[in-house]
Amino acid sequence: MPRLQLRYFALLREQAGRQAETVETAAATPAALYAELAARHGFRLAAAQLRVAVNASFSDWEHPLRDGDEVVFIPPVAGG
Amino acid sequence: MNVFEFSTTPIDAARLAAPLASPAAGGFAAFEGRVRDRNEGRAVTSLEYEAFEALAVAEGGRIVADAARRHGATLARCVHRVGRLEVGDVAVWVGVSAPHRAEAFAACLEIIDEVKHRLPIWKKESYADGDSGWVNCEHAAHGTAPRFDYSRQAALPEVGAAGQARLAQAHVIVVGAGGLGCPVLASLAGAGVGLLTIVDPDRVEASNLHRQPLFALADVGQPKAEAAARRLAAYNPGLRYEALVRRFDAGLGAELLAGADAIVDCTDNFAAKFLVNDAAQRAGVPAVIASVYQYEGQLQVVRADRGGSCLRCQWPEATRDGLVGNCAEAGVLGPVPAILGQLQALEVLKLLLDLPGQLQDEVLLVDLLVHGQQRLAAPRDPGCAGRCLRVDGATAPARASEVDLMLPLAAAAAAGYRIVDIREPMECAFEPLPVPGQQALPLGRLLDGALDVEAGRPYLLVCAHGVRSHAAAEYLRARGHANVWSLAGGLAAQAG
Repeated sequence: MPRLQLRYFALLREQAGRQAETVETAAATPAALYAELAARHGFRLAAAQLRVAVNASFSDWEHPLRDGDEVVFIPPVAGG
Repeated sequence: MNVFEFSTTPIDAARLAAPLASPAAGGFAAFEGRVRDRNEGRAVTSLEYEAFEALAVAEGGRIVADAARRHGATLARCVHRVGRLEVGDVAVWVGVSAPHRAEAFAACLEIIDEVKHRLPIWKKESYADGDSGWVNCEHAAHGTAPRFDYSRQAALPEVGAAGQARLAQAHVIVVGAGGLGCPVLASLAGAGVGLLTIVDPDRVEASNLHRQPLFALADVGQPKAEAAARRLAAYNPGLRYEALVRRFDAGLGAELLAGADAIVDCTDNFAAKFLVNDAAQRAGVPAVIASVYQYEGQLQVVRADRGGSCLRCQWPEATRDGLVGNCAEAGVLGPVPAILGQLQALEVLKLLLDLPGQLQDEVLLVDLLVHGQQRLAAPRDPGCAGRCLRVDGATAPARASEVDLMLPLAAAAAAGYRIVDIREPMECAFEPLPVPGQQALPLGRLLDGALDVEAGRPYLLVCAHGVRSHAAAEYLRARGHANVWSLAGGLAAQAG
């Protein structure tokens, strides 16, 4: 199965209890991957409320994932 | 003619003024400083001036030349006496000719002030009681009065005198004088940005102090914009500061951004960030936007002046405040906004000085727990609402008060308004509008032209907080639909 590097920010980092991890997954898109992770880590934000970046570029949720990709989930933050 | 000289003989004003005459000068101003018969309560009979002449002549020449250049004077000179003088004698004479009286007076005043402050000149007073003593001429004993010195920064080859002059001419607006705003303001004032406008409606709270070092404990309860301006004026008095104790809105944005070089968003909520983003888009002025959350931050530079991607390109319309905590709810460590604020100041200076490496069409993620930093490419979203907020040069943006309507939705329906819910389907399902018969049309589709506006009928656009609907109403107004309105405060303002 493809291995992916994951990074979490803000609320997701807290809920996942880590800022990064490596996963082996059959998920073919960020949307499927997020659904899988949400179930595992108990993420409460809906995918529609987040942005995802694949390999350092903002991406859409149906972008095909490949082995070795780095996927970053970014919740909106507004503190100042 | 030497512009600064010492004289051992009495000053002849007419002779000194003669070479200052010029056909281009419509104004001439002169100042004479004379020996007074009293000083600090003691009767003075005469005095004696002594100067370190070589240094004073060089420095005096600079004073006269600088003042003349700064105020646009045509010709200027200054003569100072040395030796013994009697009461009533002229000790120092300044003359300035200029195109108009204002320049002449201003240059004359600056020259005499600087001469008294900076030049190494001493006087020995002889008193009526037979006593005598040396008196400093103002600060001469301490050497030159300190001035804010940008030399370390101007030493950078990319900055130089030209860059420093560009900064002195710049106008930057800082929205929010909080954890981000304090470091932004301090660094821009330190860099010599000529005019800083500070917009913040709040007062200093004790819980602000740990991350907002522009404020002292004694400032608690004071308006933040004013307290910050006072502190900055003490720090670098050579700049101009404008304190606006009010909330930033579209109307204020339109006023302030005309002629501004950049706007810096240091607010702590999305509604305000979108207002800054939209105002920058409309005015074509770059916006530097940052947010922090606990130990992390995000930074984005919206190059509205270059058609770059904007905040709305990155954050979908469903983005709402309350989704993720602000500093009060989530907590924040002082250095986190301090660092993000410094990064904002850095991007502003890069922009103003045209330095390489400026952020555009990307988001910088900073994780200060693990010292991770990542630049994510964030191109313009072709479906973004931001593009539509750009108004053609000739069309003035509508003012907030002209678009927003504050009324109960039921009353609007009864009055014949066609009510359009522009929220996303997920939001509508979660919290339906409390009136029947409304049309649901998400903002993105409305901006794609999916709303058929029926002539002669009033339209009321509704969203969660009135920000999107305001933008959409302005968009439709700009396209000739005069009878389109936005529900002020959105659905949130209807509750209760």
